[in-house]
Amino acid sequence: MKLLEYKAHEVFHEYEVPSINGFTVSTLDELEQADGKLDYPVVIKAQVQTGNRGKAGGIKFAENREQLLKQGAEILGMSIKGLEVKRIFITEKVHIDKEMYLSFTMDRKTKLGVLIFSPEGGVDINEIVEKNPEKVAKVILPAGEEIDDFTLQYVIDKTGLKQSYHDEFKNICKKLYRMYVHYDCLLAEINPLVITSEGHLKALDGKVDIDDNALYRHPNVREFRDEITENPLVLQARGFDFLYIPIKERGNIGVISNGSGMIMSSIDLISQRGMEVTCALDLGGGATADRIQEALKIVASNPQVDTVFINIFGGITRCDEIAEGVKQSIAEIDTNRLVIRLEGTNKEKGLQIIRDIGGNIELVDGLYEGVDALAEGMKK
Amino acid sequence: MSFFVDENTRLIVQGITGREGTFHTEQMQQYGTTVVAGVTPGKGGTEVLGVPVYNTVREAMERHEANASVLFVPPKFLYGAAYEAIMSGVPLVMTIAEGTPVHDMLKLHHLAKEKGVQLIGPNSFGVISPGKAKAGFMAHRIFSEGRVGVMSRSATNCYETVFLLKNAGIGQSTVVGVGGDMIPGSTFVDVLPFYEKDPDTDVVIMIGEIGGSEEELAAEYIKEHVSKPVIALIAGKNAPKDTSMGHAGAIVSPDGEGSAESKEEKLRAAGVHIAESTEDILRIVKTLV
Repeated sequence: MKLLEYKAHEVFHEYEVPSINGFTVSTLDELEQADGKLDYPVVIKAQVQTGNRGKAGGIKFAENREQLLKQGAEILGMSIKGLEVKRIFITEKVHIDKEMYLSFTMDRKTKLGVLIFSPEGGVDINEIVEKNPEKVAKVILPAGEEIDDFTLQYVIDKTGLKQSYHDEFKNICKKLYRMYVHYDCLLAEINPLVITSEGHLKALDGKVDIDDNALYRHPNVREFRDEITENPLVLQARGFDFLYIPIKERGNIGVISNGSGMIMSSIDLISQRGMEVTCALDLGGGATADRIQEALKIVASNPQVDTVFINIFGGITRCDEIAEGVKQSIAEIDTNRLVIRLEGTNKEKGLQIIRDIGGNIELVDGLYEGVDALAEGMKK
Repeated sequence: MSFFVDENTRLIVQGITGREGTFHTEQMQQYGTTVVAGVTPGKGGTEVLGVPVYNTVREAMERHEANASVLFVPPKFLYGAAYEAIMSGVPLVMTIAEGTPVHDMLKLHHLAKEKGVQLIGPNSFGVISPGKAKAGFMAHRIFSEGRVGVMSRSATNCYETVFLLKNAGIGQSTVVGVGGDMIPGSTFVDVLPFYEKDPDTDVVIMIGEIGGSEEELAAEYIKEHVSKPVIALIAGKNAPKDTSMGHAGAIVSPDGEGSAESKEEKLRAAGVHIAESTEDILRIVKTLV
C-alpha cells in the first residue's frame, strides 16, 4: 500500500524523522478553520497517487489567507490524470540549499534491506543512477532492527557529505530505518531530503510503501487504503476478497481465473495472438458460486469488456461452483461473448451445468482452445 | 530416488487441527505420506486421523524422529510456526500460506540458511514426489510418476504443465512449489542442486514469472553447475509495470527490473530452453526425453 504524501509525513513524524510541517483537509470548511495553523507562505498540494502533480496544476503557493482559500478551492475536487482530488496537504514553504535522496528498500537478490543515498536528489532515483552512478551509495544491510554507525560512516565517506551535516544525517537514517522495519515497508523514501537555508536536513517529500500482507499489524494506516485506490472496480472486487487488475485501457477482453500464474499465462497467450486484455480478476482458491457470480458481474460491468474469458484449473476451486456462479449471473451481464474453460475438480458436473444454461456460451477444452476461440471470434 | 519427500518422509503437520490442516492431512495420508505427528498449541494430547497432536514441535520431534514439517497455518502465524520448526531441528520445513509479511520472510530466509534448514514456500502448494509422497495441498491426481523435475513459483501454471505432461504420458520425479512471494524460503538456485544430483531426474522444468531476480540467478548457477537440460517458462510478459499481478513477488519495478525479457535473455545465454507457454514446455520436453 503506497501511502499518500500526507500520510507518509504522518509516519515520518511518528518516528521523529525531521520533516516539514503540514496539515491536511478534505473540505473547504476544514480549510477555513485551519487557517492560522501555519505561517505564510504555504504550499498547497493535491493528494492523489500520481506523479507530475505540479504540471497538472495540483501544487500551488499561497501568501495569505485569501490566496489559501482561493487556491485550495481550485485544487480540491479537480481531476489529475483521471483521479479526483479529495484531499489537499498544506505545508510550510521551506527555503532550500540542496536536494538529496535517501531510501530504504528490499534487495530481492540478497533478500536483505538496502540503503540508497545520493547527495543529488529531487528527481527519480533511476535518473540519478543513470547520470551519476558514482555519487550514489548503495549498502546492503544485515537483518535487524537498527542500523549501525559504521554503515552510515561508510555512506558519508563514499558520497562526501559535508562534516556539518553528519550528525543530522545519521539521525535521519536511523529513524527512517526504524520506521522502515516497524512499519513493514517495502520502500521508505525521502526525495528530496533537503538541506534548508538554515542548514538543517528535512524530509520535504516522501514515498512510503507498506507491505499489504502486513497491514493487519498497522490498523492506523489500513483504514486509509480505500482512500488511495481510486478504481471503483478494484474496490468492489476487494470487498469480495478478489484481486481486480486493470491491464490495458484499450483492450476488450476480461479474464477471470483462479490464481496469479494462470492469469499471467492467459494474458500472455491472448496478447501473443494480437488481442488485448483490459482487465483481469483473480478469484484466488476455493471461490463459491455466490462469489463467482459477483466476480463475473464486476468484470462485465467494465464498459470496455465485450468478451469474458473464464479460465479455471480447479484444485480447491470446484468447477461446479464456477458453473453455478455463471448460471446465477448470466441474466444480469451483457457481454457479447463468454468463453469458458473448466478443468479439475468436478469438471463434468460443471460442464453439464453450463450446457444446461444454453445460450451462446462457448465451452472450450483447454487454455489453448480457449485462446483459439477468442481469436476466431475476433476475426468475425 | 527423488528428494525432499518420499517413502522415507516422517512428516509433522503444524496446524493439523484446523479445517485445512485436517482435510489435507487425510489427503496426504491417502496418497501414502507417513504423517507421524501434528502440532497445534493448546491441543496437545488429542488425536486427529490417528495422528497424535502435540503442543510444540520440539515434543513431536523428541517422540517421533520426524524429518520434515508442513505448515497449514494462517500467514499471521507463519513466522512463529516456522521459527519453532527451524529451531527444533526439523531439516525440511514446507510453508503453504499466501499473504506472509515480507519482513517475516526476510528473517526466516536467513535463519533457515544459518541453521542449514531447507525452508520451502510460502505461497506454495508444497512438494510432491509422485507415487511416493506429498506434503502440501496440490491436487495430486494430475501428477504422475516419471523422470521430469518441475519447480514453480506458480501453482496454477505448474498444474497446467503437469496436466499436459500427464496426458502426454510424461511423469515427474519431484515437483517443488518454490512459491509466489517476494522472498521465498528456497529459491530456484537452492533447489537446482537437488535435481542435478537426483539420478531419477533427466530434465528440469523451471516455471518462473516476472519480478525479482531468481531466474537471472538461476541462469548464472545453471551455466556453471547444471549438466541436465533445463526448460524455463517466464509468465507475465504482458503484465503492466509496477502492478502486482496477484503473487506478491510478481511485479516488474518501474525501472524494468524483473522483466521477462531480462530473465529470458540471461537464461538463453546459459543454455536454457525458453518456452513461450505451458504447451511449448511440452513440445520441448518431448524433444529431450
